[in-house]
Amino acid sequence: MRRVTTGLRRPTTWLAAAVLAVLVVLVALPLQGLVAATVQPDSIGSWTDVLASPLSANLFFTPLGNSLVVGLGTGLLASLLGSFLAWVVVMSDVPGRRVIGVLATIPFALPSFAIALAWESVFRNERLGGNPGLLASLGIAVPDVLSWGVVPITLTLVAHYYSLSFVVVAAALSNVGGDLLAAAELTGASRVRIAARIALPVVAPAILSGFLLAFAEGVSNFAVPALLGLPVRFQTLSTRLYGSISTGDTERGYVLSILLVVIAALVLWVGNRFTAGRSFATITGKSSRPRRVTTGAWKWVLFALSAALVTATTIVPGVVLAVSTVLRRTNSFDAGLTLHYWAGESDPSIAQGMRGVLRDPVALDAVVSTVALGVAVALGATLVGLLAAYVVTRLKRAKVVGGSISLLSYVPFLIPGIAFGAAFIAQFGAPIGPLPSLYGTFAILVIAGIAASLPFAFQTSKSALGQVSGDLEEAALISGAGTAQRLRRIVFPLASRGIVSGGILVFVTMVRDLSLVVLLVTPATPLLSVMTYRYASEGFTQHANAITLVIATVSVAATLLARRLQGARQPWSNA
Amino acid sequence: MPSTARTWAAVAAFPLVLGLAACAPAAEAEDTVDYDALSHDELVELATEEGEVSVYAFTSRIATVEEAFEAEYPGIDVVSTDISSTELITRLASEHAAGSATADVAYVSDAPVVVTELLAEGVLESYLPPRVAESLPEEYQAPLVSNRLSTKVLMYNEEAYPDGSPVANLWELTEAAWAGKVVLVDPNVRGDYLDLVTEMSLRGDEMAAAYEEHFGTEIELADGVDDAGLQFVSDLYANDAVLVDDTDTVNAAIGALGQTAPPVGFTSYSDRRDNEDEGWALQVASGVAPSPGIVFPAMLGLTAGVENPAAARLLIDFMMGDDTETGGPGFEPFYVAGDYPTRTDVVAPDDALPLEELAGWVIDAEASAERRDAVADFLLTIQ
Amino acid sequence: MTAITLDRLGKDFGGSTALHEVSLEFPAGSFVVLLGPSGCGKTTTLRMLAGLEEPSRGTISFGDRVVADGDTGASVPAEKRGLGMVFQSYALWPHMSVRTNIDWPLRVAKWSAADRQARVDEVLAMLGITALADRYPAEISGGQQQRVAIARTIASRPQVLLFDEPLSNLDARLRVDTRAELAQVHRATGGTSVYVTHDQVEALALATHIAVMRDGRVEQFGPPAELLERPATAFVAAFLGTPPAVLLTGEAHGGALHRDGVAIAAASGDRPLQAMYRPQDVGLGAEGQVPFEVVECTPLAGRYVVSGMTGRDRVSVVTETPVAAGTWTRLVLPETPAALFGADDARVTA
Repeated sequence: MRRVTTGLRRPTTWLAAAVLAVLVVLVALPLQGLVAATVQPDSIGSWTDVLASPLSANLFFTPLGNSLVVGLGTGLLASLLGSFLAWVVVMSDVPGRRVIGVLATIPFALPSFAIALAWESVFRNERLGGNPGLLASLGIAVPDVLSWGVVPITLTLVAHYYSLSFVVVAAALSNVGGDLLAAAELTGASRVRIAARIALPVVAPAILSGFLLAFAEGVSNFAVPALLGLPVRFQTLSTRLYGSISTGDTERGYVLSILLVVIAALVLWVGNRFTAGRSFATITGKSSRPRRVTTGAWKWVLFALSAALVTATTIVPGVVLAVSTVLRRTNSFDAGLTLHYWAGESDPSIAQGMRGVLRDPVALDAVVSTVALGVAVALGATLVGLLAAYVVTRLKRAKVVGGSISLLSYVPFLIPGIAFGAAFIAQFGAPIGPLPSLYGTFAILVIAGIAASLPFAFQTSKSALGQVSGDLEEAALISGAGTAQRLRRIVFPLASRGIVSGGILVFVTMVRDLSLVVLLVTPATPLLSVMTYRYASEGFTQHANAITLVIATVSVAATLLARRLQGARQPWSNA
Repeated sequence: MPSTARTWAAVAAFPLVLGLAACAPAAEAEDTVDYDALSHDELVELATEEGEVSVYAFTSRIATVEEAFEAEYPGIDVVSTDISSTELITRLASEHAAGSATADVAYVSDAPVVVTELLAEGVLESYLPPRVAESLPEEYQAPLVSNRLSTKVLMYNEEAYPDGSPVANLWELTEAAWAGKVVLVDPNVRGDYLDLVTEMSLRGDEMAAAYEEHFGTEIELADGVDDAGLQFVSDLYANDAVLVDDTDTVNAAIGALGQTAPPVGFTSYSDRRDNEDEGWALQVASGVAPSPGIVFPAMLGLTAGVENPAAARLLIDFMMGDDTETGGPGFEPFYVAGDYPTRTDVVAPDDALPLEELAGWVIDAEASAERRDAVADFLLTIQ
Repeated sequence: MTAITLDRLGKDFGGSTALHEVSLEFPAGSFVVLLGPSGCGKTTTLRMLAGLEEPSRGTISFGDRVVADGDTGASVPAEKRGLGMVFQSYALWPHMSVRTNIDWPLRVAKWSAADRQARVDEVLAMLGITALADRYPAEISGGQQQRVAIARTIASRPQVLLFDEPLSNLDARLRVDTRAELAQVHRATGGTSVYVTHDQVEALALATHIAVMRDGRVEQFGPPAELLERPATAFVAAFLGTPPAVLLTGEAHGGALHRDGVAIAAASGDRPLQAMYRPQDVGLGAEGQVPFEVVECTPLAGRYVVSGMTGRDRVSVVTETPVAAGTWTRLVLPETPAALFGADDARVTA
């Protein structure tokens, strides 16, 4: 009892309680609603359907295996590529690394189907009829395994999510002092050895965070497996989940979602064991300047590899997307080019009279709303994620609390957007006591967005905070600074690079999200992603791609702006 | 206040701050008017008093309807929201459960799901505008009024097959010549394709008869297969039918110009209108035995506890079309060759086969709802 | 001036006990060194003094004020104890310049701008680092960083100063120089200092009182001279001094302490004992009682410290003349050992 009262007086304990309360409202309640919906008397059968019936093999177990292969493949390869590129950009002297660094953040801002489109335009074979890809039209017989199924799905997702890993790992590497590397160099170890055995292991938590995020995205992504997997009957849990809900079998979809959450929790637990108990503090009271590794003879090889990677994953899909918006005929050059889909007046002979995107009166409103939503969610999610990460890193001994916060901050990924949206209508749709109903307001979009974006903010903040050595905070504590002062003046400024990266990721994800907002949006809150959907569902591909390009541009602009602001605030470090 | 306490206060107030947004709309007064029995003019009067109506629709063409309605009844503001069928249904159900229904009118497709999830739970109610009661066949009056019919039928590439449909009987598609050359959206992913397969199952007898017609012998059902329709799908899957995620993919696969041996597939007859724009040569495979596919309704309903009862009814009435031959501005966005108006006094667009000639199976929402789940499960086992 | 009192202070971590019931009184103005090998509990004690850890048992008082009570759980939080601490890793805030590193804690303590400016300049001058005021920690050397850490600690004039192995990362020469500065700083602030180290040379150089610790217990506490002259246990005898005392193990029986069959001293009882001799009292020669193999011979203050092995014990003696490494010789022991210790390390009478 005495221990409890002592604990209760510490500010960190209050903070932990507040964070837990927020997470319960934002995540645990919707999750519980999900579970509750599946254990009603008339829906409990879904559990047996999924796990122990003749359907289970095709409904759950095979797709589970596929999802794990895709997820783990995506996570591992994305981490590998992202870490490699981060090392090149932050630690080496390869020329053009600054530009490469900027380009490497863009794939994440592009929608995943854009990269899938780019893949298709090269590798698509004749199985589907229609217009084959580049290789097939040159007469090269492309085997099914390259055109469809697990290989293109995984590679496409990797091409998209490696930039996630890059952002997180680069932020961490830029905080590694030169002493660590100098010590290694003095032992005579080769540069590769140092990179692999010193530089990267020191930022293991960042690599782990990147892996967990890429894994979760790989497992929950629907568009790419649907596009590239269905033609060869390659199903993943995400396609099965979406399929169940859209054919009216909502409870089964929820069961699949719950199982997905359990599996992800396992992966999270295993991943955290890898880094448990070790200190990864690289920002210590003993600072040293960051060092560049001279790459000598390998300089141009590394340059070529990095440049090829970012070109293939950023420039090519970007160009494919841009070109697709000016093609008169969808996905084909036959009828020439036109700017009609951007700026044309209503013409009944083109796209059933749909005006060009820039002439749509809603378009500008939508840009403003979308940016506002992105910023609000980024700020909110970063705050909650940061405080949650702080509690978890500082309260290492309170395993239950720390574990709950970690888990609740990770699972929103795996709850389908539509379930989240439904849960939020249920929770906030009606007035709560004296508070009015939030339904139909901008506020509910922000709250739901914060809930769904927590994983990014939490993971990036956690690895960023882990880099700040504990004795820096202790020194401030001894100097008499209270919790808020310490957070504001010591901990957060030092972890800011990672924190801001997390904020950017949240912004980018939010502005292109559809499944979450579609249930909560109203005409008063127009959003770009909903506009894209609207066009696409009526078959106006060029319009839809044009809006997608606008979304991507907004994301890229925001990313560059944030980096510019961040760079200006850290005169004491390199990179 | 010490700085730590200030931080805690900020953190605790955060959700509250977000709650200072919109106010709840004022509750409507109780009314004992029987809206269903009002005449058109009375309805207009009351509707103009109400001043606004909100509609959720599964198609973005509702925006054109909004403009036309506001032009016709300038005192009434239409607020339209369009989202896909699945999300639409979830949204209506969730709002109803939370007691914060915002829509007055719902324009929905995917009838079987609507019947089981929305009508059964009392989320939607029916309204039949008295004006069209006579011209609307009974099957399109209940459970909700439908203003038009869409299709999911077998289509082929008329550039590659200029002499008409390359198959005369659905069962041909299960033979070696068509291995890997039949394209459709995965019925486990999209409701309307699931309806297609469900209808084949419901019409098992017709499918069996067509089998005999083609193969000359009686059909033998495999173990675990309950009817000839399911047997057909099973054979189709075994014949390497290609499943995709989206109707546009199906259309491009079947219809793209310049192919020598394009596949055939199931898609919407009305997608023919994009032939010119997209470089397709889609054509319906009419005369295929036993039927090229299904015909299904898009339905209009009132939400339970509707806030603008008169305006809502007026909008439904408007969307059912006016007295002209083509249905007027309320129906215009849906007046497309390959889709069919439900009213008998509206003439179907002439660039398409008449409904009777198409010989598509018209689905019964309730029967379909009952059978769907079993069919979906069956499909999962034969993947 | 503040005296520090530890009363039955204890600390458990999970299942194991890091500190067993320690009771000590540090007089006001003293420079107390907590000395011992890793894991002896000295850092734990220091952190409890700082308020970075809570005691499991016992109390800590600064003067009359109880700042931590392990029994009731009451505790003054670290930020309110008004002390200063120098960390082993310096803990300089890398995103603040040298000047800001020193200035910010004063700002937190709500000093006026004028006072802060004056004091910062004062301590910068005191430690000779005025030229570095606008540099960042990453831009200065390790020794300079340590000076900044010291400056930061003393700027607010704390009454209690804590040092956590502050010199262990400096090279030998710098260590000696900085050590002297620390002593000066302690005298200038007039407060009570508690200093943790594993280096007995530092302890002997700096301390007014030393607490030798082992396995969570205090072996002996007192002024350095007392610990050297009258060590309470064999551990203290072997730990302190350059070179430390000579300890030889043997078996007592028949009224004498025998080592390898040779009687080297008078001792009663029938038990294993350790005999302690001062290194300068032991000679080398063929007439000695105990065989000795020379391993090292180091010049020190005009004489020679000769280290080697006598069977299983390692000892060092002081001689006037050098002896080559590898030489086999014998130890010439005085008749009476300076002290005798039992098997449990405690002092015993002969």
